[in-house]
Amino acid sequence: MKGLFEATLLKTSLILDPFQVIVAVNKAVHQQKINKMMTKTVHSEILFSLSPRKNISNAFKTFGMGDKDTSVFVAILNDHDKSTMSVIQNLIKGRQVDPYQVSELTNLQSIKEVYNLSETELSVSNTLDAVVSRIASKDIVQV
Amino acid sequence: MSSKTLIKQGAEAKLYSATFHGRPCIVKERFKKSYRHPSLDQSLTNQRIKSEVRALLRSRMNGVRTPTVYFVDLETSQICMEEIRDSVTVRDYIMSVQKSQSLEDSIVQLKPLGRKIGETLAVLHQNNIVHGDLTTSNMLLQSDPMNLNLVMIDFGLSHFENLAEDKGVDLYVLERAILSTHPNSDEFFSEILDSYTQSNPGSADVIAKLDEVRMRGRKRTMVG
Ligand SMILES: Nc1ncnc2c1ncn2[C@@H]1O[C@H](COP(=O)(O)OP(=O)(O)O)[C@@H](O)[C@H]1O
Ligand SMILES: [Mg+2]
Repeated sequence: MKGLFEATLLKTSLILDPFQVIVAVNKAVHQQKINKMMTKTVHSEILFSLSPRKNISNAFKTFGMGDKDTSVFVAILNDHDKSTMSVIQNLIKGRQVDPYQVSELTNLQSIKEVYNLSETELSVSNTLDAVVSRIASKDIVQV
Repeated sequence: MSSKTLIKQGAEAKLYSATFHGRPCIVKERFKKSYRHPSLDQSLTNQRIKSEVRALLRSRMNGVRTPTVYFVDLETSQICMEEIRDSVTVRDYIMSVQKSQSLEDSIVQLKPLGRKIGETLAVLHQNNIVHGDLTTSNMLLQSDPMNLNLVMIDFGLSHFENLAEDKGVDLYVLERAILSTHPNSDEFFSEILDSYTQSNPGSADVIAKLDEVRMRGRKRTMVG
């Protein structure tokens, strides 16, 4: 499917809420603007941004949709005429749902492991805030 | 990010209120000091931002509430963070308590807050987070202040140091700030120190340093 369309296909089990993706997209677009992307395209940069760590291939493996996954969270940029969207809709055999329904597919335990969340932190922060803080701070501090 | 409204112009930073993809946020923008060399200035400014972001995250990881960071832009020296809504600074809260009741009653009412602040500072220091600018304006209480939902902010001068001296100075800065901002606040600060000592088993060295710094401060004012 390479080259057919530009989008980021994310592993739903590691997405808690669309806002988590928004924070990663915001960062990826910023890195693109200032010419400091760590990966080749802004769509791959989104995958990298989602990861709390700096290893690129690991980020792709962890956050990218896997062969055996039966659901996917799709992020598309600059699709004003919805052309990419319609290509993807035709390619994926499945039911399209509201992005907020991703919470039904989240694996909270995996999120806690990947983002290294402790009970101490979760006593003063909800999980989403803990996750987005790490995404936004990653260039400065890693956990 | 939506359009920003300036809410505070400080000596080092401008604060704006805005929204980040639908969420109310505060944009803290550190600006250039014209007397500093431009490239030196940029690196100093970014040093502050990095210290702030690092400490915001490490504090929260250790169980001290801080605003969630949404976006950091080192090019424009901005941090975009969660706005702590429906909050007052500890400074304003103390003033309103002192204004509305007798000295005795206000001392009693502020006691639990003093304990909470002491416990919170103990957690920071036990994790080697030295705040660097402890004042009652850099502490917020969210929702009903009686719930003691304390949120720590303004970590631009923070650093990570396991030195009793630095932690002692941290407490000294707070003591000076409290005694000079709030009249009749000796007991409030004692409460903070008591609870700090009780929740921090290794605090004897820090308190010894605090006493040392107090002595130095006194000598300086006697000479000057
Ligand atoms: N995240 C926040 N939510 C709500 N109010 C805030 C937040 N950050 C700062 N403020 C308000 O703005 C004031 C100044 O912010 P601060 O970070 O302390 O900057 P400064 O370096 O100018 O003191 C604080 O005392 C507080 O009243
Ligand atoms: Mg301040």
